[in-house]
Amino acid sequence: MTERGMSDQRWLHALGQELARHRFTPDVTHHVVAEAAAHLRDSGQPALRAFGTPEGYAAAVAESLASQRRQPRRPRGRVRLRASQITKRYGRRTVLKPTDLTVHAGEVAAVVGANGCGKSTFLRICAGLLSPDSGEVLVDGLLGYCPQEGGTYDFLLPEEHFVLVGAGRGFDRGRSRQLGRGGAATLHWDAAGDVQARHLSGGTRQKLNLVMATLGDPDVLLLDEPYQGFDRGTYLDFWQHVWRWRDEGRAIVVVTHLLNQLDQVDHVLDLTPGAREVAA
Amino acid sequence: MDQERRGQWLRGVLDVCVLALLARRESYGYELAQALDRAGLGQIQGGTLYPVLLRLQRTGLVAAHWRDGEAGPARKYYRLTPSGEEAVRRLSTDWRSFAGRVDALLMEEVTSP
Amino acid sequence: MRLLTVAEMALRELSRRRGVILLLLALPFVCYVVRHDQVGQSIRFVLLGLAWAVSTAALFAGGTSRQIEPRLRLSGYRSHHLYLGRLFAMWVLGLAVAAPFFALIAFDRGGQVRLGAVAAAMVLAVAVAAPFGLLIGAVVPRELEGTLILLVTISLQMMIDPADSITRLTPFWSSREIGTYAIDHTGTEYLVRGLTHGILATLLATVLVAVLSTIRLRTRPHLRYASR
Repeated sequence: MTERGMSDQRWLHALGQELARHRFTPDVTHHVVAEAAAHLRDSGQPALRAFGTPEGYAAAVAESLASQRRQPRRPRGRVRLRASQITKRYGRRTVLKPTDLTVHAGEVAAVVGANGCGKSTFLRICAGLLSPDSGEVLVDGLLGYCPQEGGTYDFLLPEEHFVLVGAGRGFDRGRSRQLGRGGAATLHWDAAGDVQARHLSGGTRQKLNLVMATLGDPDVLLLDEPYQGFDRGTYLDFWQHVWRWRDEGRAIVVVTHLLNQLDQVDHVLDLTPGAREVAA
Repeated sequence: MDQERRGQWLRGVLDVCVLALLARRESYGYELAQALDRAGLGQIQGGTLYPVLLRLQRTGLVAAHWRDGEAGPARKYYRLTPSGEEAVRRLSTDWRSFAGRVDALLMEEVTSP
Repeated sequence: MRLLTVAEMALRELSRRRGVILLLLALPFVCYVVRHDQVGQSIRFVLLGLAWAVSTAALFAGGTSRQIEPRLRLSGYRSHHLYLGRLFAMWVLGLAVAAPFFALIAFDRGGQVRLGAVAAAMVLAVAVAAPFGLLIGAVVPRELEGTLILLVTISLQMMIDPADSITRLTPFWSSREIGTYAIDHTGTEYLVRGLTHGILATLLATVLVAVLSTIRLRTRPHLRYASR
């Protein structure tokens, strides 16, 4: 392959990823990329000159297809998670004033707020890992929980983590490995290698954490800032998975301090003292 | 001609031109770009042309299907839908009347002392 | 099946910590070498060294999995899968560490002692040490405190007057009694006392670990699952 052919291939690949980030279906993405490829072959022009940057072209396509971007939302399903009147104090310090959150199947709730305002505490209470001082949590279905850090064994391989979690869910080894690798591949990570968890980069370890949390298709996903250490691309991809999981009918709660995804989530729970509202 | 102004004018009528070309026969993106170039409208880059085609497709004025080329890769062919044919008739009338008024205005401006 | 998976992963994890394995072997070995001039003391010290090494390993193994066990619990494990799996792994590891020392004693002192009894004393030392280490890990908040508690326990065991009746309350008294039976060729009452004490101590430590783990990993009462 010529050098230009190589760089065009890279450009087309980048275009595919950018289109996916604009939430096009794989079908639309495939057609747009194939058409661009055909044009490049016919015209003999370099991709950058004919189409500009992949980001720019994807944005132009997105604008043209604006009404097709969001798939029609399904009507929301039944209540998967209902936290009622949760309070928590450590000694004299009140961490959570009475807090409510209801998430239906097919919805995403974002838990936001300043550092130390009780986001992780709230999530751990929802997961049943920590007792609140009052209030209760009702969960309908299987729970998956991804901690902020430290949910892995330093000296085990990624695949051994999959086997360990999978056995809990009732899968045999082969199935666990297959599910884990599949989950890793959707995060653009090849988990088949024999690298112990302690040697993985921070971002990759969080991918491992995320794959462990989603193994076995839980109905309720509780994710505590699971994208720390992700680069920008992986971060955007992470949100693509959140939307996909939502479209599959899961109920998702994401702790986040980054606000640029909030226009797309169904609920925002702001735990900053004084700001207590749940927006739809 | 001032490239920037030419680009501005073209953006306003590119979809009309594309519809007009497709009224003659169905075609694919690169062929349309060549035809526009031959017509004297200059080189239209793919990054400009395909979003227009996608919008026309979305609004139902053109339909598309993939077909294998005689040699080479499959291409996405576009053709007018009945509402596209209707749109071409309406738009060409509109354009002629609009361009006629601009012409008339410019003539007056140039010929009057 | 779940229990075995937990045990297997715990063993895989430990076996990759080469430095730890080396130190696990070094500790009883040093105990043996420094008292090599006295048959009885050298064997008694190996037994204590073994108990110390295995209980410390169990303490740390319990510590590393403390953060992960809650999420394993969420992914479908019951509490007993987790603590029994880990305990099982520690027993296997302990026996693996004990085996070369048994071979060493058999080679070095084979004619002078009752080898069967030495083996029994080693098995009991490992049997008690594993749940004892996990127990200390479950009681104290951090590993440093746990390590110091183990140090105090072992030192006490080494220095206390064997005639004092309070020695019976120390966890590794059984290996001392069986050791005496093996080394000094005493009557079987030493063996019986030792076996009884060792088995009781193992059971007691295991039950306490079970109770503490079950409490720590319990399903919190505020969380209810909708019945399907």
